[in-house]
Amino acid sequence: MKTEYNGRFITAVTIVLLIFMVAPLVVVVALSITPSKLAMFPPTGFTLEWYAKVLATEKFRHSFMVSASLAAGATILSLVIGTPAAMAINKNVLPGSRLIETLLLSPMILPILITGLALFQFMAAQGMRSTGWNLLIGHAIITLPYMMRTVTASLKQIDHSLEEAASTLGAPPLTVFFKVTVPQIAPGILAGCLFAFMISFDDFPISLWLADARIEPLPIYLHHQMSTVFDPSIAAMSALMIATGIIVVILLEKLVGLRKAMGV
Amino acid sequence: MMSATTEIAPGYWRPPSRLAAPAAMAFPAVGFLVVFLVIPALTLLSYSVLVQSPTGEIGLPLTLNNFQRLLGSPTYRGILFNTVFIAGCSTVFAILLAYPLAMTVAYGRPLLSRLTMVAVVAPLVVSVIVRSYGWQLLLGNGPAGVVNFVLSSVGLPPFVKILNSKWAVVVASVHVYLPLLVLPLAASLGRIPPNLIEAARMLGAPSWRAFFGITLPLSYPGLLAGATVVFTLTAGSFITPQMLGGTDGMVLGVLLEQQVNTVYDWPMSAAIATLMVAIALTVHFITHRVMNARPTR
Repeated sequence: MKTEYNGRFITAVTIVLLIFMVAPLVVVVALSITPSKLAMFPPTGFTLEWYAKVLATEKFRHSFMVSASLAAGATILSLVIGTPAAMAINKNVLPGSRLIETLLLSPMILPILITGLALFQFMAAQGMRSTGWNLLIGHAIITLPYMMRTVTASLKQIDHSLEEAASTLGAPPLTVFFKVTVPQIAPGILAGCLFAFMISFDDFPISLWLADARIEPLPIYLHHQMSTVFDPSIAAMSALMIATGIIVVILLEKLVGLRKAMGV
Repeated sequence: MMSATTEIAPGYWRPPSRLAAPAAMAFPAVGFLVVFLVIPALTLLSYSVLVQSPTGEIGLPLTLNNFQRLLGSPTYRGILFNTVFIAGCSTVFAILLAYPLAMTVAYGRPLLSRLTMVAVVAPLVVSVIVRSYGWQLLLGNGPAGVVNFVLSSVGLPPFVKILNSKWAVVVASVHVYLPLLVLPLAASLGRIPPNLIEAARMLGAPSWRAFFGITLPLSYPGLLAGATVVFTLTAGSFITPQMLGGTDGMVLGVLLEQQVNTVYDWPMSAAIATLMVAIALTVHFITHRVMNARPTR
């Protein structure tokens, strides 16, 4: 049987492209295990000493914890304010629903570097000096639209007659929400949370403006280290960040299914 | 888009009780973004038409002087050109590379399709800074650059010398943003009824004609959405050009960071920010118009 597209050609091109996609990640991991003092190709052997060095660094562990708690906080905040907003928009009864939706998705359109700078300027002018809270607000702004989009997409797919049936049978609105709506949108919300977590965990352009030397998220710490340290410990730190991302991809695939999570 | 259960057009007056709950539900998110995004962004952009006194205070009179300084200087015009050029090239290359990947995701054999999906999504969850570092290692101009090392080990001259130039930024930007084009494109391709292509092939169209006559036009929604994201994110990026571009690959984002952190020139920074926002909004506006002009189904 003939395939519907020129299969062999596409397959060959795809394999070349897959190498292109994974090459920068593979190179980083390869250099993280080289025993030489400089992060230079090719690796000259195998060692885990750079990982040991990185994990023994107090500042690295602190930055990792900053990034992880920031990402968890931003995810929770955008979930708590994003889910009801997505439901309100989905009901489509508010005047200006479209405008509200545009506003809630606007952090995806505005260059993030500008969002961060505007926030930095605003917070300085308002005397908001708590770096931790400032970072949390900044990160929640960029995770919110991703959360909104995944929750909205799940809401569009659920069977609303179930909710109607529950309320007709006398269930109060909150019971309907937690017992009928939530179980149906749970996979979408989970995918949204995992994505929001990684958006925040990996963020550079917001933290660039809002972080300081005491509270330094991992990407900022890594960037500082890159201009002062030239041994493979940089590669080891990067590899640990790659590992975090891979864990999230595996979780997405196991819990939700990668295709479903990505809307493909 | 209206849901099927809504009989009354949005905006029509309803008893307050039916509006109160949705309004209360939308309020926290709307309030949060108005306070921490809309007001700060408008404040920042307004600085672009104001004056900074020697003591650092920003105020009246209104002026277009900042934009004149920005667009009047050949250096800054060059940086603006670089920004648009790099974003344009990245978008074109990303489109060319995205089709085979998206077609494999949509139509490929299960194993390869799954593998492609993982390889496309995995870089997406790795920080841009790590990916840019990977490209620094790959594109190193000396013999220790990984690409050059591989070239010389198969007997070719190590001719890749693009680190610290526009082209390094283009290569890395394509890599960084390609997934955001592949995913909507694959979703679009997946919605094309396969019997359309089968019909074309059965009637004797060669596969390239079936592609250009059917697959390509029907995949425009995903293509446009993804290409817009690639262009605007590349044009607004900072870390990739900062790590890979050098002076040849200088873009507005890098210039902006310098103006704020070393020159402390807020009106000038605001003018650059306004220009970056204008580029993003223009591209989104054009895409929106093109999408709405096309019959969707």
